[in-house]
Amino acid sequence: MTQLPETADLLESIIGVAPGSALSQLRAQRPDIVRHTQGSHDVLLSPVDPGGLSPAERALVAVRVAEISAHVGLAGHYRSLLAERGGPPHGERANTILRHVACVTAAPGTASHEHIDTLRAVGLDARDIVALTQVVAFVSYQVRAATGLALLAQEKVQ
Amino acid sequence: MNAKRFTLEAVEWAPWLPPVTLQTATPKQRAALDNSPQANSAYFRTLANDVDSLAERLPLFHAVMYVPRGLKRAERELATVVVSIINGCVYCSSVHARRFVELTKQPEIIRALYKQGVDTKLEPRLRAIVDYAAKLTREPATMTVADLAPLRAVGLDDLEIHDLTNAVAMFANANRLMQTLGEPVMPEGAA
Repeated sequence: MTQLPETADLLESIIGVAPGSALSQLRAQRPDIVRHTQGSHDVLLSPVDPGGLSPAERALVAVRVAEISAHVGLAGHYRSLLAERGGPPHGERANTILRHVACVTAAPGTASHEHIDTLRAVGLDARDIVALTQVVAFVSYQVRAATGLALLAQEKVQ
Repeated sequence: MNAKRFTLEAVEWAPWLPPVTLQTATPKQRAALDNSPQANSAYFRTLANDVDSLAERLPLFHAVMYVPRGLKRAERELATVVVSIINGCVYCSSVHARRFVELTKQPEIIRALYKQGVDTKLEPRLRAIVDYAAKLTREPATMTVADLAPLRAVGLDDLEIHDLTNAVAMFANANRLMQTLGEPVMPEGAA
């Protein structure tokens, strides 16, 4: 399994929050949010048992969500992870996954039961489809959390 | 927006994938489900197909929505309703609109949001909260420090803004899971 480089807290490193800074102390008032935001990242992007959705595919999905959401820092983080792992093979499976990722990221209200059949047809089972959706949903969360934290950080230096 | 049947009534949810059953759940799945608000809910049992992500997400959700101090619970609920309206999540908006009403006894605020949309007239503090939630949902990449000014003007402190941000972010997450792994089932007789 590919291990992430040691990052104590990904969000703080992406925003550039110094340990002990006012913003870091603010986040420390919500220790379970800090812990389980990082924990979600780790189990989704670097699972001990990835099942049928490979670590490279997970990184590719995260890159796409961050890019569609136009979050430069997160897109950079996930591109590095993808480069480390090597991209998954090009082809129908990756294309199908990425089409679904675009839908869930940009227009979640338009998904339908048929999307599930399309994903099954390229080899994803129920667990893989839940994991795929969790990756998209998690990065969508991360984009908003990182954006709001960055605004608070910028406000402090003004 | 009128095509979506946003409601204050209870809505059910039907999965598009086979949920884990309590009878066949592994010990790990059973432990995660027992840690959820409702072990037998079809939604949590569907998420239990990938148990490690569910086991992280449950305490994250709890911490974002229910941990005391900071932004009032009702205001967190309101923010999640706004996010759910924008993302079209009928199920999520129903659940959290009802929580908002339980806490505030102000169903008229929800009805106005449903009927007139998120730009409906609101008192200044709620207006600032709703505007921030809407922009962070729709176009996070365009936000600047200036978007915090209306929140500061109505008195939100750092922890409240932090909590508001996380509530909005959590429903970017919840709305995507809920709308792409299954669908809402409307109560009988609902328009």
